[in-house]
Amino acid sequence: MRRPPRILLFLAIAAASVITATLAAPPASSSVVGDARRVLLTPASFTDAAAMMQRTAVVASLLFVWMIAAVALTLISGREIRYSSIEVRTSPLHCLALGLVAVTSFVLTAIVFSWLTSVIGIPLLVALAVFAMLTKIYGTIAVFHAVGTIVAGLRTREQLSQRRWLRGDLAMVIIGLLILGAIRLVPVIGPIVWGLASIFGVGTALATKFGRREPWFLAWRPAEL
Amino acid sequence: MNEACRRAIEDPETNAAHLQQCASCRALFEELNTPISDARVQVRELPLAPWEGATYRSWPLVIAGAAAVLLAALALCAAVGLSPLRAISMGIGSTAIARSSLLTAADAVRNASTIWQIAFGALFLLVNTALVLLLRRAPRGIDA
Repeated sequence: MRRPPRILLFLAIAAASVITATLAAPPASSSVVGDARRVLLTPASFTDAAAMMQRTAVVASLLFVWMIAAVALTLISGREIRYSSIEVRTSPLHCLALGLVAVTSFVLTAIVFSWLTSVIGIPLLVALAVFAMLTKIYGTIAVFHAVGTIVAGLRTREQLSQRRWLRGDLAMVIIGLLILGAIRLVPVIGPIVWGLASIFGVGTALATKFGRREPWFLAWRPAEL
Repeated sequence: MNEACRRAIEDPETNAAHLQQCASCRALFEELNTPISDARVQVRELPLAPWEGATYRSWPLVIAGAAAVLLAALALCAAVGLSPLRAISMGIGSTAIARSSLLTAADAVRNASTIWQIAFGALFLLVNTALVLLLRRAPRGIDA
């Protein structure tokens, strides 16, 4: 994988800073877009500001829970997380398509299960919910690893020998979580980016069978006589 | 002929070092007029494999990151007068919206006309067929 030019990284940081600053303090404008942006992002009253701060506190608290889960899962199955991370970096479109189709399938299947009688339907719904949650959690942690590797991953052997602590699966997961977590705190854009990361995550988790890289279905072959 | 000789005959490029040392194998290759490449693989010139250095556990980074997130969460919770556990339960409890939306959608489909129910069934089959087709593709990450 070729390393992107360093100037792109600085441009990306500058662009992200401008976007974040614009969203945090929208410029005064009489246009409809400007008014809508102010209504969406700038609290009109003290109650709105308190609600916005409360949402931020909830998101930050959940980020800490995500960090604990990410560290635990990376320690338990770092190799699987790495394989899924490689998949999302090499086949992003396939992971996105698979994620979108899988999430749609989860919703439609849940509706079908809710039609069934409660004796059969509720256990199936619970199983589907547990599977969907595990897929989302595992996949999102794989996306943390992918983002961390794209931003701060090792490129050369010199870096491997020089870096003291910014290397390894655990470091990549933490870097990715901090970056996506910081974006998550940005109003409007944050939930969209986080949702996209979840879709990519579900896709890569299913594409690699949770990092095990085994086929989901057995191939049929006629018996040899 | 020992095991090393057998390996060298099967894969002479990988076992070039053995061919330099073993006279009988060298004679065999000279008899066959097969050139023996003595180009050694320079490990430092190879691209970095994803697993190299991957198992290193960077605890200082983990502790620093966790402390930063924890401090930010505690400060924000203190600012709005919310306990951290309550904030976490509020965040997890937001799935209740998804649950109620699902039940509403299920009721809507149940009460819909027959045509809409058939359309829903067709959509269900179509999406799950697409899912199965996409799942059949082998992952390519490592080999890419």
